[in-house]
Amino acid sequence: MSAGVTTQPAERRLSLLVTVLAFALPVIFVLVPLAIFLVYSFFSVDQGTIVYAPTLGNYVRFFTDPIFLPVFWNTIVLCVSVAVICILLAYPAAYFLTTLRGRWRYALLMLLLVPLLMSYVIKIYAIRSILGLNGFLNKALVAIGILQQPSTLFVFNMNAILLTLSLLLIPFAILPIFLSLERIPQTLLRASDDLGASGLQTFLRITLPLSLPGVASAASFVFVLAIGDFLTPQMVGGISGFTFGRILYSQFGTAYNWPFGAALSVALAIVVICAILIGERFGRSRGTSV
Amino acid sequence: MSQNTDLLTLRSVSKSYGTVPVLHDIDLSVRDGEFLTVLGPSGSGKTTVLRLIGGLEPLTAGEIRLDGQDISRMPINKRPFNTVFQDYALFPHMTVSGNVGYGLSVRHVQRKEIARRVAEALELVQLGRFADRFPAQLSGGQRQRVALARALICQPRLILLDEPLAALDLELRRQMQEFLKSIQREIKTTFLFVTHDQEEAIGMADRICVMQAGHIRQLGTPHELYYKPNCEFVARFFGENNLVAGKLGPVQGEQRPIETALGRLICSISGQPHLKAAPDGASAFAAFRPEALHLADSTDGDNRFSGTIADLAFAGSSTVATITAGADTAAQRLRLRTPSRIDGSALRSGETVSLSFAPHEGHLVLA
Repeated sequence: MSAGVTTQPAERRLSLLVTVLAFALPVIFVLVPLAIFLVYSFFSVDQGTIVYAPTLGNYVRFFTDPIFLPVFWNTIVLCVSVAVICILLAYPAAYFLTTLRGRWRYALLMLLLVPLLMSYVIKIYAIRSILGLNGFLNKALVAIGILQQPSTLFVFNMNAILLTLSLLLIPFAILPIFLSLERIPQTLLRASDDLGASGLQTFLRITLPLSLPGVASAASFVFVLAIGDFLTPQMVGGISGFTFGRILYSQFGTAYNWPFGAALSVALAIVVICAILIGERFGRSRGTSV
Repeated sequence: MSQNTDLLTLRSVSKSYGTVPVLHDIDLSVRDGEFLTVLGPSGSGKTTVLRLIGGLEPLTAGEIRLDGQDISRMPINKRPFNTVFQDYALFPHMTVSGNVGYGLSVRHVQRKEIARRVAEALELVQLGRFADRFPAQLSGGQRQRVALARALICQPRLILLDEPLAALDLELRRQMQEFLKSIQREIKTTFLFVTHDQEEAIGMADRICVMQAGHIRQLGTPHELYYKPNCEFVARFFGENNLVAGKLGPVQGEQRPIETALGRLICSISGQPHLKAAPDGASAFAAFRPEALHLADSTDGDNRFSGTIADLAFAGSSTVATITAGADTAAQRLRLRTPSRIDGSALRSGETVSLSFAPHEGHLVLA
C-alpha cells in the first residue's frame, strides 16, 4: 500500500511546478500590472516626462474637473443599459435552447457563439454599416413606413454605442444563462407540475429564481466587457458618443499623460471589481442545490 | 373510504418508448384507501406505471379511470394525485414551509390558511422545528418527510411514491417504513408505492402487485403472494423458496401429487382452481418455503427424502442450512431454516439427514 502512495521524485517536482505556475501566472500577469497602475496613478507629468514624486493631483483632477465625472456616470448608465438589453434578449434565446432536445440544442448554441470567433473590428464595421444612413436598418424602417426618410439616430452617437455593444456582447450573456437553465433538474419542474402549478407558475416560481445566478453572472460579464471597451465607442460613437473608455484611451494615446490615465483606470477598475462582486454575490444560489 | 370501492382503474394500458414496449396490456385496480405496492425488479415497468398514473408521461394505448371517469388525457397539474419523487425533488431555493405550501399557494389559497395547513402537515411528519430551513440543511430522512408533507398537503386522492426509501440507509429505511404506514393509516389516503425491495413491500402493503418485463404477474395480499404464488417468477422473486421441478399427478381432493427427482411430493391446491384444471403430466414445480422444511425420522412415504447438509449459516434468530438432495444426476439444492438455539444447532455440516414438509405447506406452480 505504501509503495502505491509514494510518488516518484520527478512526478512530485512536476506537481510542485504546476502549483507554482498556477499561483504565479495570475500574480505576474494580473496583480503586478494592476499594482504598477496604482503606483503610476500617484505620479504626475511635466512637459511629457513622468515625475516620480507621489501626489494626489490626478485624483483631485478627476473629481473636480467638470468633464470627467459626468462622462464616468454616463458610461456606467450606458453599460448597465447594455447589460439589461443583453439579458432581455439572451434569456428567451437561452430558454429556447434548453427546450430543444439532444443534438439540436448544442448545434444551435454553437451557432449563437460563432460570432465570438470573428474579428471584433470586422464585426463593428459590419454593424456600423447596418446602422448607417444608407444601412439595412434605415432602409427597412423606411420600407415598412415607420420612418419617412433615413435617420441619423443610429450612428455616431450614444444610441449607436448602445446597439453595437449589445449586439457584440449577447453571446456572453447567453452562455451563463443557458448553463444555469440547463442545470435545473427536470424533476423539479415535474414536481411543480405535479403539485398543480401551471406552466407560467412553474416558470416564474421555479425556473426563473433558479436561473438568477446565471443572469447575475451574465449581467456582470456584459457590464465589465462593455465598460472596458474603447474601440466600439471610438468607431461608432462619433463626437457625441463620448465614453470613459475613450477618455482613458486618449490619456495614454494622444495626451501621453500616463499617470492621469492610470488614475482613471483605477477608478474604472473599482467599478469593475464592484460589478464582479455584485454578480458573484447574486450568482451564489440561495440554499445551494440539493 | 371503504376499501372495496375502486378508486383508480387501469384498463389495457400499454406504453412504448419509440418501438420499445415497456408495458404490455396492464389491468390494475387501486382500491380506495389501500396501501398498494408495485413490486418488481429494475426494468419491470413499475416506475412507468406510476408515471402514467401521475401524468408524467402519456399512454400509448388503453385508459386510466378515476371514479369511473377517463383521465388518460388529463394534464398532470389537473390530476388530484401527488408524487413523492425518488430523489425528493425539493425546491432548493425555498424553505421547508415554502416547499410544503407550494401546492396550496399555486392554487391561490389564502396566506393564513396556507400557514395553518403547512404547520399541520409539518406536525404530522414531525418536522415542525425545521420550517425555516432550506432543503440543503436537512438530512436524507428529513427531506423525505418534507417531500411527503408536500405531497399530502393538497389532500390528493392518491399519493404516488417512487422508491422513496431507496437512498436511505437500512435503519432509517425501517423507521420510514413504519412511519409511512402509520401516516397512511392516519390520513386514510390511498398510497401507491413503487419498490424493488420485497421486504419493504411485505412490511407496508395491504396488497402487492408483482411486475416483471412489463407484465403484472400477480396481485394479492402479501400472505397470498407468499403462500400461493401463481407462477415461477413470483415463487422465486418473493421471499426465499425451494422449487423442485416435476410432472403433475391426478388431483386428490384439495391436494395434488407431483412426481419429482425427490420422489412423489404432495402439495395443497386449495383455492387455486387453475391448478385443479391443469392436465395430468403437465410440467410444474413443487414449492415449499425453507421454514416449512424440517427433519424427519425416516425417508419412507410421501414428501420425504434424504439430503446432505452442504453448508450451515447462522443468521441471528434463525439458522439456514443449504442441502443437496436427490440422486447425483438430478441433485437439488434446497434451503432449510430453523430457529437458532443458544447451545448450537442440532445440524452438522456434511451430515446426511431425512427431510420432509407437510402437504399443506407445499404448493404448486405451473412451469
